Amino acid sequence: MLSRNRAAYAFLAPYLLIFVTFWLWPIINSLLISFQNTRVNPWRFSLSANWGRLFGDPAFYNALYNTLIILVIQVPVMIALATVMAVLLDSPLLKARPLYRFAFFAPVVVGEVAYAAVFRLMFSADFGIINKLITSVGLSPVSWFDNANAAMALVIIAITWRWAGYNAIILLAGLQSIPDDVYEAATLDRVSKFQQFLHITLPLLKPIISFCVVLSVIGTMQLFTEPFLITNRGGPGGGTETLGLLLYRQGFTSLNFGYASAIAYTIAGLAVAISLLNLMLGGEKK
Amino acid sequence: MAKIKLENVVKSFGAYQVVHGANLEIEDGEFTVFVGPSGCGKSTLLRMIAGLEDISAGTISIGGKVVNDTEPSDRGIAMVFQSYALYPHMTVRRNLSFGLEMNGNPKADTARRVALAANILQINELMGRRPAQLSGGQRQRVAIGRAIVREPQVFLFDEPLSNLDAELRVQMRVEISKLHKQLGTTMIYVTHDQTEAMTLADKIVVLRAGHIEQVGAPLDLYDDPANQFVAGFVGSPKMNFLKAEVVEKTPDGAVVALSSDRNVRFAFQLSAQIGLGATVTLGIRPEHFAPPGGGDADLTVAVEVAEHLGNTSYVHASLAGETVVIEQPENRHGGARRHLTVGVPTSRVFLFDQTGNRLR
Repeated sequence: MLSRNRAAYAFLAPYLLIFVTFWLWPIINSLLISFQNTRVNPWRFSLSANWGRLFGDPAFYNALYNTLIILVIQVPVMIALATVMAVLLDSPLLKARPLYRFAFFAPVVVGEVAYAAVFRLMFSADFGIINKLITSVGLSPVSWFDNANAAMALVIIAITWRWAGYNAIILLAGLQSIPDDVYEAATLDRVSKFQQFLHITLPLLKPIISFCVVLSVIGTMQLFTEPFLITNRGGPGGGTETLGLLLYRQGFTSLNFGYASAIAYTIAGLAVAISLLNLMLGGEKK
Repeated sequence: MAKIKLENVVKSFGAYQVVHGANLEIEDGEFTVFVGPSGCGKSTLLRMIAGLEDISAGTISIGGKVVNDTEPSDRGIAMVFQSYALYPHMTVRRNLSFGLEMNGNPKADTARRVALAANILQINELMGRRPAQLSGGQRQRVAIGRAIVREPQVFLFDEPLSNLDAELRVQMRVEISKLHKQLGTTMIYVTHDQTEAMTLADKIVVLRAGHIEQVGAPLDLYDDPANQFVAGFVGSPKMNFLKAEVVEKTPDGAVVALSSDRNVRFAFQLSAQIGLGATVTLGIRPEHFAPPGGGDADLTVAVEVAEHLGNTSYVHASLAGETVVIEQPENRHGGARRHLTVGVPTSRVFLFDQTGNRLR
């Protein structure tokens, strides 16, 4: 068998080599590193140095809290918004559909640094257009970068702007897979458009919504760009520091690779657990 | 039950007209079949009656009321789709009751209607299943059940048996026919299968390229087709068409000779005017050939292949490049023949002009 497949393995070898070196080995090695005290030379095994510290570290709990807050608020809002956008995009009344499809998808294509810079300008306390709009209706300006809650809201708005269209396009593909004649049958059954949305569209879209939620959960658990670039490295005072940012700070500022590895595994574990929970709750009843 | 009337009904998609001024009356309780090849406009016509397609011009009345601007749900119709269009996430029971529930129909009445439909279609044991857990035939029953619970004035069927295998199609055909007898409701059925049309219909409407070619009872269409298209479409195997020429004018008609064998001649009594030398088409059904000497002329054809069906056989033959299908009583001891001579009774031959219109 091995001799028969030798040629196939030979062709696969370059990929397998790269896969093992740059994917499999780092995953295994980082798990090993997470059990080592990397603040001493040479590194030595220690369960408490990283995992022990993790469970008692206020910075970790702060980052976990911030991440979960973003997850709990942003993901449902974004998925709901994406569903509405997808339904509107699917409407036969909509003209120039490809244009809207591109417009909704465009934020994903825009460079992260460029979009962060634009958001910083728009939300600037002194000359940003958002505060100008707020003050123009008689409200007080908001200190988007100095107030922890406002900064958190800014991060949520930014992520939602960036990813809602992306999810809408995925949901649109799901919507378009629902046959038209199911809706026609419902129309003949005197089922209103809203009832059709609630009782036909949403249940049939559930697997796609679950998929989008899982993708969003994974993305949010790893969230780094927005709090790093828009709210000044998780500012103010750690108010928007996420697990991804804490990992970065530990790994690349403090050079504490063991602790960073433990955080990385925690992020992955939480993402898997939340995604599984979502799939279990949203799963089809047999 | 309701009478349906179509007056000059036109359907256009942009500049492209697909139904050209259809006029039709369907009586109360009648089983009408729209039949025609793909793209002839039969489904579009059905969908216009359902209200799922707008009407570009003309009027459609159901039960004496013009319904052009009436919502599909208010037309008193129920439709069975080719793809069944069942709600995939709902059980059979919910599929049947969903429309009634959404309209606030009393629960007891909904339960009564669902139970009645389930009994009629014998799907009681399937009520807890979802569409994915049903066979094609079972899904079709559920789709019909969903139409029954609405207690409509008119049932519309859009090629409901197309996705079923041959055996199941025959079985469901019989069941739909029984259902019509049981309910006595007006039914309109779209199909491209002329056998379905012939076996189910009280009235057949033959369509071609958006035009109604002929309307009539199945056997009327078979016995007296209005044109070459209907003659070729109704009947299986289809009618043979042979090129011919008018070789003699007689006081009450004309003598026509086959182009492929000018010795084979038929004298027709015709009221239509036709010129000497005019090219015409003779139509004769495979089952209407007679034994040699049993008709007004004999025809000898070169046998290409024979299909033996047990009780009968179809001989596919050629006559100077034209294909002829001849039905023969099965002769197990006949062996392979190279040539076959059959009689052609003039009374069984249809005559068509060059545009396909019937010459009488």
